[in-house]
Amino acid sequence: MQQFNIAITGLGGQGIITAGTILKNAALNSDLQDVSGSERRGGAQREGYVEAFVKYIFYDSVSEMQNQRKNMHSPMIASGDADVLISLEPIETLRAISYVNKNSVIIFNTNTHIPISVRMGKSKYPELYDILNSLYNITDKVFYYDFNKLSIENFGSIISVNVISLGVVFAKTNIPISKNVIENILLKGPKAQDNLRAFNIGLNL
Amino acid sequence: MANLFVEGKYGDKGIILGNEAIARGALEAGVGYASMYPGTPASEIIITLDKNKKYIKNIYTEFSLNEHISLHGAIGASWSGIRSLCAMKNVGLNVASEPAHFLAYTGVKAGLVLAIGSDPGAPSSSNEQDDRWYSLHTYMPILEPSNIQEAKDFTKKAFEISEQFSFGIILMAPSRLCHNAGILHFGDCLDRDLISGNFKRDPENYLNLFNLAVKNHKKYLERNELLKKYANTSELNIIIDAETGSRNHNRRRNNNRIGFISSGVIYAHLIEALNFINADNYKILKLGITFPLSEELIKRFLNDLDEVVIVEEAEGFLEFQIKKIAFEIGYQGKIHGKNIFNAYGELTVDDVIKGAANFLKKPPPEYFDTAVKNLEMISDKIPQRMGTFCVGCPHRGSIYSILKASGYSNTDSKDRDVIIAGDIGCYTLGLLPPYNAMDWLTCMNSGLSIGQAISIADKSKKIIALVGDSTFYHSGIPVLMNAVQNNSNILYIILDNSWTAMTGHQKTPSTKIDIDGIPIPNAINLKDLLKSLGISYIKTIDPNNVKRFSVLIKEALKEKGLKVIIAKRECILQEERRNKIKNVKLNNKPEIIYELQKERCVKCNECFVELACPAIQLKKEDDNKEFYFIDTVACVKCGVCYEVCPNGAIRKVEFNLHSLINSEPQVNLLNNKENKTELKIIA
Ligand code: SF4
Ligand code: SF4
Repeated sequence: MQQFNIAITGLGGQGIITAGTILKNAALNSDLQDVSGSERRGGAQREGYVEAFVKYIFYDSVSEMQNQRKNMHSPMIASGDADVLISLEPIETLRAISYVNKNSVIIFNTNTHIPISVRMGKSKYPELYDILNSLYNITDKVFYYDFNKLSIENFGSIISVNVISLGVVFAKTNIPISKNVIENILLKGPKAQDNLRAFNIGLNL
Repeated sequence: MANLFVEGKYGDKGIILGNEAIARGALEAGVGYASMYPGTPASEIIITLDKNKKYIKNIYTEFSLNEHISLHGAIGASWSGIRSLCAMKNVGLNVASEPAHFLAYTGVKAGLVLAIGSDPGAPSSSNEQDDRWYSLHTYMPILEPSNIQEAKDFTKKAFEISEQFSFGIILMAPSRLCHNAGILHFGDCLDRDLISGNFKRDPENYLNLFNLAVKNHKKYLERNELLKKYANTSELNIIIDAETGSRNHNRRRNNNRIGFISSGVIYAHLIEALNFINADNYKILKLGITFPLSEELIKRFLNDLDEVVIVEEAEGFLEFQIKKIAFEIGYQGKIHGKNIFNAYGELTVDDVIKGAANFLKKPPPEYFDTAVKNLEMISDKIPQRMGTFCVGCPHRGSIYSILKASGYSNTDSKDRDVIIAGDIGCYTLGLLPPYNAMDWLTCMNSGLSIGQAISIADKSKKIIALVGDSTFYHSGIPVLMNAVQNNSNILYIILDNSWTAMTGHQKTPSTKIDIDGIPIPNAINLKDLLKSLGISYIKTIDPNNVKRFSVLIKEALKEKGLKVIIAKRECILQEERRNKIKNVKLNNKPEIIYELQKERCVKCNECFVELACPAIQLKKEDDNKEFYFIDTVACVKCGVCYEVCPNGAIRKVEFNLHSLINSEPQVNLLNNKENKTELKIIA
């Protein structure tokens, strides 16, 4: 049995759940494949912490798939068990740091969203330099971009930050899914052309 | 596939949410009546059926006013021969506990399933209660699915069990299952043409009084015994035997003599945890039916074991029952549970890994501990982030006005003499910083209820009680009538945003216009309702008009007796959605931009901290100086910041889009870096 775990974190309104769903749909192609992963949804309110887990499972055989000791999977990712962490806000990357290990790939958005505690002067928003230091202490595979800027420049709003970040996953990690599968999923979804373009922007970063 | 949820059949598979899988299970079982009072994490169960109802024959869906009504509705449908599904969040069962306590007495006719979304860790609830304990006296059987597939299959099965034993069946789904998304293999649906109601009089079962009630009590205890027999052999309960001839790596404990018992999502954590620490040779009991437990089954499992570990969340409902059975059968081994796992907070996969690793003395891989430490090392450097109101949310204006009127902005002092009672809804977030607006928060309509007693107990204080429109209709009207009757000295502010916003914008009884702009018939007029109760002080105000609102609150607090203010403004998310649907064109309408002029801003923090609109953000210049700016992509142009800035630093720029595009001078109005982006977006 092979597994590939992706944790996606960020804030309400950034399309985290959608990104997770797109990735999960890629698991429908093979009979020996399974996928699960829970989502932490904020309420209707924005600003709150949101996360989605995508856990790909590839069984070696039908008998393994039917083995009750193998075919049940926690909806959560255990500490250190994520192959990829996608984070759409810098300090949320730090908050999710326990998911990664020294071989994981971290992809994050440098666009900051100042939480209330920082507004009130109760805490300090860390410098990008310090954030990078903490991340590089764990893994050297860290990739970061201003996804907000890219999305606004290309689409006039921040709506595409999630799909751009998915493109980066396919460029920088060994995700065991073909990018064509994702492109096909995007093609069938709403705003297909924009999403495909966003995905390709990420692929070429 | 057009709509897999409705049209899917045996052989199809799709990615689906746990809640949708429950709804699909009900659909396959031929559900005809589905009701709920919305509540996270269970909401999508009924939302899914409701939004698809035009494609589903013979289905009725209802967002009832509260859980008590909702469960009664499901009972009525069941008695009429229609399979019914009722959903609610954990605390909903407190409200529905009355009908739940009668259900075993009367029994059901067609299958009735009560899906409960529990919320360990309380990310969206005001407590973590484990509703399974109710079944010790309601006798409602409980099924606990572990994953998406079981969520669907168990729901379908629950309808059959319900009819076979004449019980309403509880389907427990914690948020980790409700909001788990994964692969579902579909089954076929029952023929929906067969659904038709026919209520037949059944006084023997439906009348409960005096000795009739006693008779029914006896009957359901007998049915419960039959159900235990069923549980003994049901395929919903599984024993996974330890392999014989075990590879006994660990000499200190014999694998074959230790076993685990678990259920639901925690069982999924357990399997993953045991694989994680390479401990794959222990006997495991997976309970799909967690009430009633079969003594036979437990006996069979405990039989050759020296020690058993029960892995479950909260206070240990399984442990309680299993220890009772163990006592009765004279079991000599040890039973562990809450001595290993916390009774509070969510039980995460990490917790189960740690618990199992410690108990079995099999350490998890090194990278696990390293990862845990990595976070510990930096966690105090990560600023806390808590949810807050959406950009443009009318509750922000309300909370801001209330704090200004009572003089408590930005203080969490214990000595306040205006008491502010919170309640359940989006506005609850006003209890968090920077507002710290509320003095208590417990259950639905606790604001006015507790408040009116305090107004008697402590006459030196002024009291403001808040309530949202949906919460008010849920159970607030009797409380208000009580306050009227006793002429409580309270200011009651109804935050009317037209929707049950927090759970995905269901209608409230006074929602007048639907999301697509269509008027809703039978909408209740809130003001008329209040008047009919004999309340003389009723004012209505737009909460975004913060200056007027705080003056109004100050005035109202001077008056004696019961005062009601309706803070009326639609939820901004709904307003925006409707505008999108109507495709409101910018064309010739003058466009407005709110601009924070950094050279005039003295950083008094009125907009940035006191009001705390998330669209007002902080940036550093190259020389490291910080300044505030309005993120025009996020700003919804509500204008509240413009009203609150005491220094005239926020200006309102009105222009015509066409002239903006066509003429230079207007462009010069906007002169900082961000505004370049801004122009691009609008143009
Ligand atoms: S106008 Fe001001 S308060 Fe309103 S959304 Fe924009 S920045 Fe926020
Ligand atoms: S209220 Fe006005 S002066 Fe005060 S921080 Fe905001 S923009 Fe600056």
